[in-house]
Amino acid sequence: MSEQAPKGFFARFKELPVDSTPKTIFVAVTLCLFCSMIVSVAAVSLRPVQEANKVRDKQVNILQVAGLYEDGVDVAEAFAAFEPRVLELASGDFSADFDATTFDDRAAADDPELSRELVEDPASIGRQANFVTVYLLNDDAGNLDKVILPLHGYGLWSTLYGFIAVEENGNDIYGLQFYSHAETPGLGAEVDNPRWKSLWNGKRLHDDTGTLAITVDKTAPAAGADFHIDALAGATLTSRGVDNLVKFWMGEEGYATFLAKLKEGAV
Amino acid sequence: MSQTKKELLVDPLVDNNPITLQVLGLCSALAVTSSLKVALVMTIAVTVVTAFSSMFISILRNQIPGSIRIIVQMVIIASLVILVDQVLKAYAFEISKTLSVFVGLIITNCIVMGRAEAFAMKNPPMASFIDGIGNGLGYGLILMLVGFIRELFGSGSLFGITILETVNNGGWYVPNGMLLLPPSAFFVIGLLIWAFRTWKPEQVEERDFKIQTAEAH
Amino acid sequence: MGLRSYLDSIEPNFHKGGKYEKYFPIYEMVESLMFTPKTVTTAAPHARSYVDMKRIMTYVVIATIPCILMAMYNTGLQTNGAIAALGDSAATGWRVGLLQALGFSLNPDSLIANMAHGFLYFLPIYLTTLIVGGIWEVLFATVRGHEVNEGFLVTSMLYVLIMPASTPLWQVALGISFGVVIGKEVFGGTGKNFLNPALTGRAFLYFAYPANMSGNTVWTPVDGFSGATALGVTAADGVQALASQGISWSNAFFGFIQGSMGETSTLACLIGLAFLLVTKIANWRLIVGCMGGMIGFSLLLNVIGSDTNPMFAMPWYWHLVVGGYAFGLAFMVTEPVSASHTNMGRYWYGALIGFMVVMIRVINPAFPEGMMLAILFANIFAPLIDYFVVRANIKRRAKRV
Repeated sequence: MSEQAPKGFFARFKELPVDSTPKTIFVAVTLCLFCSMIVSVAAVSLRPVQEANKVRDKQVNILQVAGLYEDGVDVAEAFAAFEPRVLELASGDFSADFDATTFDDRAAADDPELSRELVEDPASIGRQANFVTVYLLNDDAGNLDKVILPLHGYGLWSTLYGFIAVEENGNDIYGLQFYSHAETPGLGAEVDNPRWKSLWNGKRLHDDTGTLAITVDKTAPAAGADFHIDALAGATLTSRGVDNLVKFWMGEEGYATFLAKLKEGAV
Repeated sequence: MSQTKKELLVDPLVDNNPITLQVLGLCSALAVTSSLKVALVMTIAVTVVTAFSSMFISILRNQIPGSIRIIVQMVIIASLVILVDQVLKAYAFEISKTLSVFVGLIITNCIVMGRAEAFAMKNPPMASFIDGIGNGLGYGLILMLVGFIRELFGSGSLFGITILETVNNGGWYVPNGMLLLPPSAFFVIGLLIWAFRTWKPEQVEERDFKIQTAEAH
Repeated sequence: MGLRSYLDSIEPNFHKGGKYEKYFPIYEMVESLMFTPKTVTTAAPHARSYVDMKRIMTYVVIATIPCILMAMYNTGLQTNGAIAALGDSAATGWRVGLLQALGFSLNPDSLIANMAHGFLYFLPIYLTTLIVGGIWEVLFATVRGHEVNEGFLVTSMLYVLIMPASTPLWQVALGISFGVVIGKEVFGGTGKNFLNPALTGRAFLYFAYPANMSGNTVWTPVDGFSGATALGVTAADGVQALASQGISWSNAFFGFIQGSMGETSTLACLIGLAFLLVTKIANWRLIVGCMGGMIGFSLLLNVIGSDTNPMFAMPWYWHLVVGGYAFGLAFMVTEPVSASHTNMGRYWYGALIGFMVVMIRVINPAFPEGMMLAILFANIFAPLIDYFVVRANIKRRAKRV
């Protein structure tokens, strides 16, 4: 039909009322094609910048917990001082099976091959990955200075994700920082308060007998002020969550083996 | 076309404000007003989306079949919103993290749909564009007012710059925690509407009924 | 009768066209506080009763007297007790100075010493509430040309009784402002408010300044003293742990525990409630509903049980005596304006509160106390409950036609 009267077809199509079925379908299809093209072009062309942002965001967090971040610092350059490694939690050894720059901790926690269901779960995280990415920071002489360990656990409303920076002796805390949470603004969200975060600096994980003594509480424990971080005012449950998750990750199920090796200087 | 371009731009700021008079777009107004910076970005995003979606819809208005016009409007708006979202993620990552899902939810913002359906479908592109800008700014004006109150009294700062040193940072100001929670925006917006209608009594709606008093009968 | 003739002589100034026409509400307030109001209803329907609004409000204030006395005594008891436990170094502040200058001791065993110390905490909060709330009331009354009524005296008294003694006065002022303006005046004043203004003010402070309102140190205003409320202890360690904190059931019943000033003593609340019931200000159906809801749901939770949440095991007679339950039951649930207005609705309204309070206390981890939130929640549902009751009535009667 279109061969005989191609012009007639378009002409007839043009004369159709806007509300006719062919025109409706035509408008819908054209519009969808056009819009999807624009959207996909935008998404594809901007993806590299967005990915870079995500990587940078994580690097900034690691720099912050290690106390190396200032406004205007070149993040990529500063981050070059860190060496990412994949750690096997149970043995406390680094694993060479994975590429540390691309290893995805959260995906690993969901992967039944790489993770396990927790029986005792004080941090309420459900599954724990057997492998995590840790970051080693060397000083100028090339000696190990700090290790940055990821940790997460449940507060009042949300899972808090963060990093803890531990000195090379495996016992002194340099800092703690959460980069993702949804706690109550003004109360639990004060985990982001610089004054509260600075309390962690210089605290110690284990007492002289080697027992894990670090505590977040309203009152100091028997072990003494070196092991005590004052709980957040008015945020009992967030504080308890932080207490639980730090104890969990620093304990036997978490980095205990690794920290012990760190203490002996075997890393 | 009874309104001049200037009227189109200025009218929605106070006299026909989308939030205080039409009471639209409240969901995002509750969610993004705890800090001014975020409120400002949201204002810009909504203004851009409303202006351009109104313009495009107005260009196409004679070709859009009535039976699928809402869907067509939605597709145009949604595409623009995705565009804005992608740009924010690329060039304003920190803010896009705070805005999170609310940029995407501009799609469902009644102001955008409302202008498309009520104005752009019946008016030429330029007027629709200006109308979109005006409504976006009217929305933004309230957002900024609410954000100003919430950030100043809720965290003692404006645009992240400390104005009132809070107790947690060693200062004297005890921040009002309720203002950091989304429901407080209900109170603030309610009080703003009250203030607007005291200032401009013609905005007060007719009463549905009158309560009888004991004395005057 | 000097006062009567004086008021009569100045009255024309306040009438239409008079010098102080705008200030009529203030005149009216003073006049009706002193004398029976002259205004009578002229429009139908006419109901004859000796109970007018002024008398209702006065009765409620009278009913709070046991709570007020207990508020002063227990605040003093807790404060003096804390000072005694912490030593003289904790005895600081103008109140201690004033008490010593006047020759009062700080002995927690002495009735007089406790009353005096508690009085010094109660009075500033009460005065602040009266002055700030009063200013708002008069302001709105003047602008809108209606009368200031005695309801405010009740609101302010109830508001003060549910404050922790350590509340800073500026917060007291902010809270009552919010309660009066948002809880009542925006809706048109007394009788048109669907929320309880005192609770609205308290809820505002609870969410705005949670660290000052719900922490462990707020209940006793002595620096360095830390004691959790009975509900806080139970939430953490279960009912058994209460004994180790020195909280026995009878202590909680008589009110010698931590808590907001006026709500610790269940006994005082019950005396007030009895007075309200006898004078028929309070509707007994609300009480039945509220007790039924609370007992029923807590028994259900007792049966269900929980390994991780010790609150599940809390028996109903403990729910009754700790926190704000008894006070809320006596003075807030029974408030006629914000409660349901139909008899059937009153059962449901009360039951909803009883259910919600246990629900919030036991199941919500963020809020140890739930009475305030439960009542405000039910306030919002009261008109809906009435609506359904009325619909059901219409349906039932339509069948007979």
